[in-house]
Amino acid sequence: MLRFVILVFCGLFCQLNADEGSARVLLAKQIHNKYLVEGMDIVVKYSLFNVGDSAATNLQVVDNGFRAEDFDVVSGQLQFKLDRLAPSANTSQTVVVRPRKFGYFNFTAAEVSYSGSEGSSVVLTGLSSDPGQGVIIAARDYDKQFSSHFLDWAAFAVMTLPSLGIPFVLWYSSKSKYEALLLKKD
Amino acid sequence: LTFSVALVVCGLVGLSAGTCTSPKVSASSYTPADSQVLAAIPFIAEFTLECGNGEKPALYADVGGALVPVSTSMDGAKHQVSWVKTLKEAAKGDVTVPLYDADGYTQLRRARDKGEEATVTPLVSIVVSYPGSYSGPLFNSEHFALFLSALVFYLAFSSKSKLLA
Repeated sequence: MLRFVILVFCGLFCQLNADEGSARVLLAKQIHNKYLVEGMDIVVKYSLFNVGDSAATNLQVVDNGFRAEDFDVVSGQLQFKLDRLAPSANTSQTVVVRPRKFGYFNFTAAEVSYSGSEGSSVVLTGLSSDPGQGVIIAARDYDKQFSSHFLDWAAFAVMTLPSLGIPFVLWYSSKSKYEALLLKKD
Repeated sequence: LTFSVALVVCGLVGLSAGTCTSPKVSASSYTPADSQVLAAIPFIAEFTLECGNGEKPALYADVGGALVPVSTSMDGAKHQVSWVKTLKEAAKGDVTVPLYDADGYTQLRRARDKGEEATVTPLVSIVVSYPGSYSGPLFNSEHFALFLSALVFYLAFSSKSKLLA
């Protein structure tokens, strides 16, 4: 009886450890922007971390969150694959996109699929961290706040010229007339 | 018999190593020209590698002292090495990224783990140049306008004081 109990206990213990030695890949998706502006770069960084015990092979990362009609891909690949990620190793991929439209945009998660151990046919999948909703500001509003406005100030200077110039001209003409009179007297 | 077996083994090892002969790389890099809205500067290099013997080796890049695997596009044609640097750390200039194949990677890892200087020659190297980016105007136009109007006021006031004195 006791031997049977011990056997069952060992069996349970072994079953618990069956998945030891599998890779576990975490994917983080981060937006490195101060502001999201229509027509200006958005920097998206995908970081892969293998927190498992064995190497992950045949990793594929797909991000379908940036549709072609809403975003231009300036540089980088939104869908990529990696042969092997060693345990406790990390790597990253950076992509630059430019939004074509402004408004509220929900940054969705990217997907990663990989094999848990070398030569395994089981494909594990995971989702990245979700950056959440962001506001893409219209280019017009961004310029209103952040552009240099030099032309506006130059126009203002031109407009203030009459209110400064007319009194000055009046004073100068009377001053020169008065000095001419003084010279004439002498 | 042992000599011939050794020869066969060496031959098999040579075949399975998969080293790239006469590698040709064509790279294009991207760094932003305008970083006003960015919190970090991305450095992205996309390249294609052609080997003389048609191999497609697994590549590793040395990015800022760390060895990272190089990602490939889904169709296997292009590779990408990329990293980001905060606005303060990003320095103007060219960054050379050496690329290693699997053998070079293991040699380099072993040498670095021992703590000794590694002299592994990379398969190829790619260069990412960052000429700097526009991070906003030096001084705001409203400050300049304020300074100019203060100057005009000072000139007018001083000449008026001279006249009345």
